[in-house]
Amino acid sequence: MAEQRQAAQIPNLLSLRGSRTSRGRGRGHGSPNLRSPEESREVTESVKDKIVQQTDQDASDSRMSAVSLGYLEDDFAAAFSNGPVNRRYPIINRGTYARTTAIDRLVDKFLSTYPKEPKQIISLGAGSDTRYFRLVTSHPDIQLLYHELDFADNTRSKINTIKNSPLLLKTISSHTDVDSIQISADGTTLTSPTYNIHALDLRDLAKDENIPNLPNLSKTTPTLLLSECCLIYLPPSSTIFILRTLTQTLLPQPTPLSLILYEPINPHDAFGQVMIQNLLQRGIHLQTLHAYSSLSLQKQRLKDAGFTGGQEAADVDFIYERWIGKGERDRVGRCEFLDEIEEWRLLARHYCVAWGWRDGVGGEGGVFGKAWGDVEGQDDGGGG
Amino acid sequence: MSDLDTAIAQLRACRPIPEVQVRELCYKATELLIEEGNVVGVDAPVTICGDIHGQFHDLMELFRVGGDVPETNYLFMGDFVDRGFYSLESFLLLLCLKVRYPDRITLIRGNHESRQITTVYGFYDECMRKYGSANVWRHCCEVFDYLALGALVTGAATSLEPTSAEYANEPSSQATIPGDDNEIEIEILNSEGQIINRFPRATPNGDVPSHPPKLDSSSPLATPTRTGAPGTGASGLSSGSTANEGGAVLCVHGGLSPLIDTIDKIRLLDRKQEVPHEGAMCDLLWSDPDEIDGWGLSPRGAGFLFGADIVKAFNHKNDLSLIARAHQLVMEGFKEMFESRIVTVWSAPNYCYRCGNVAAILELGEDGSNGGYVARSNGESGQSGQGRVGPGRRYRVFEAAPQDSRGMPAKKPVADYFL
Repeated sequence: MAEQRQAAQIPNLLSLRGSRTSRGRGRGHGSPNLRSPEESREVTESVKDKIVQQTDQDASDSRMSAVSLGYLEDDFAAAFSNGPVNRRYPIINRGTYARTTAIDRLVDKFLSTYPKEPKQIISLGAGSDTRYFRLVTSHPDIQLLYHELDFADNTRSKINTIKNSPLLLKTISSHTDVDSIQISADGTTLTSPTYNIHALDLRDLAKDENIPNLPNLSKTTPTLLLSECCLIYLPPSSTIFILRTLTQTLLPQPTPLSLILYEPINPHDAFGQVMIQNLLQRGIHLQTLHAYSSLSLQKQRLKDAGFTGGQEAADVDFIYERWIGKGERDRVGRCEFLDEIEEWRLLARHYCVAWGWRDGVGGEGGVFGKAWGDVEGQDDGGGG
Repeated sequence: MSDLDTAIAQLRACRPIPEVQVRELCYKATELLIEEGNVVGVDAPVTICGDIHGQFHDLMELFRVGGDVPETNYLFMGDFVDRGFYSLESFLLLLCLKVRYPDRITLIRGNHESRQITTVYGFYDECMRKYGSANVWRHCCEVFDYLALGALVTGAATSLEPTSAEYANEPSSQATIPGDDNEIEIEILNSEGQIINRFPRATPNGDVPSHPPKLDSSSPLATPTRTGAPGTGASGLSSGSTANEGGAVLCVHGGLSPLIDTIDKIRLLDRKQEVPHEGAMCDLLWSDPDEIDGWGLSPRGAGFLFGADIVKAFNHKNDLSLIARAHQLVMEGFKEMFESRIVTVWSAPNYCYRCGNVAAILELGEDGSNGGYVARSNGESGQSGQGRVGPGRRYRVFEAAPQDSRGMPAKKPVADYFL
């Protein structure tokens, strides 16, 4: 009995691999011979997109796990998680904690610099991220214009969750008139004077013309761009064009502008190579990983993208050890036994936060230079 | 074929055995283990293995590389379960082999052989998934409570029996090929039994008979020299061990405890319990050597860090030539520290299907020349400050079993990343 149950529940890896990688994705949908090469490529692309969209569920589950164990406080995480909490391993919880805390730190410094001035945040591939809700709760007086960009499938699901959550609705409407919140007929776009969710394939921003319109976007407000494991899934050339559109067309000089990236690095060592293989087996291709494989290459990338005011980067191990005070580290250490110290360091050294900015004509008193000038970055000896 | 042999065959095929058989197996194993002291005496030759962590297919690869039971004697230093997908099959197979060949295989306890840790790191969930109840997990945890805390290997040869193995790469003129008159202290072999490197023992006046070897960078395994990772302070063949009488080798999962200065004190512990959160028993399973002086706090939240001075004093007082321990992932599979007074052996390749590391096992040969090392005399070593000469050490380094040979659960991602 037990063996039979076991056999039924644990399918063979080979069947998994076959359907996702080597044999091509077209086969599962019918005879590939009936499709033009163009069509099969579209099928392949749409499957890939689907998998990238689903990485949001992964991030959301990880967040819920870290919240349920006390690593993070997030009153809004539960609203976006379905069913029971999928508990993650302690190193994943610690990594989720470090990533969230690091980005929160940079965002908080931005928001609390010239706190009376309006600010804008654009979150790329935001998925079910709860940051907006957390920010307006912790900074009730902030003048914040917030935009989230993601695939329509993800925005539809997020907006649906919001519609059905009194807590989320109340949080949005506490900063804007409830009648000003508008949801598109197809349920994929939400607009308001403060919080906006745009259904958008980021690759549309890589085009030369017909750049999609982002309602309520301010071209002049100091703006922070956020990419948490988002641009990494696109080809390097696309990410360059997307950043060019954002930094030159949508938010042209002299608007103060910055970008925070959270991405994997170090693909060349043994851990990095296994990471690439394992994710490829899930159909996930980290497309810019080789182009921006180190802290110094990430900084150079920010500089090249026009963030000439300053560029910094640090890996997650560094951030955990240097940014987080001992008292807080002790508290986090007590959330769970962490028996994986070596593995934690290995994992944490393969993810980085990189941030760069331009302060426009602001010069010395520019908002980003003032906010981030003393944030400790890490030198990987790569020069630049 | 006995029931036990049937169970072994079934487990070797990575198929769990029925709950009633598990109960019977655990009962028999407990009867055996209850008779063992806290520190089991083991005679060389023996192959010492580190963490397995439910990586069943890699355990099969370990047996392929190191030889099968009962032809090869094994000593596993704990952490059989958790993290991998096949903790149940891995632990039950080792337990079956223990019951079937009690003198051929020694199992000691790791920090994961604990109720509390297995509920966090996967073994409990795996048992629930595979049997639909916690009974099997409970049976296994009762066995965990009876596992020994350490082992003392005696009778190990101070130099390795020369093998007829080929070099994996044609040695360059720089490489070390000890002459016939040189004792081989360390040999590193790949999974096909080819020599990656070989190190002669220093002569009594401290001279190294031939050039310190340089590992050919084109070697198929990126295994470094005997020191493991660079910068550990364990470099240089001129360190310490010169030919004199060999000492015993203490095997323990984690390391030393500030509450334990003699092996006899380990023998006095009451081990038949869940691993406590603190105290000597906890430390033996949780501590790590580190480049510090004395004792330090462990970042793991249990056990301690201990420095070279602690190891040197402990080995001297207890007439040990070496401490072998596991517990820490080392990318090269093994790592000697503190002038080869302690070694970490790690036997889970590509740990958690994510880390990209190689694994190793440590073979100690039998001293056939003079009847083995001189029996220890309970703390009274009568040695000079020089310390005992270490045993000859043959490391076999291996990589993860080919992925095609594993049936991975499809629902679960191979490994977690931040996405």
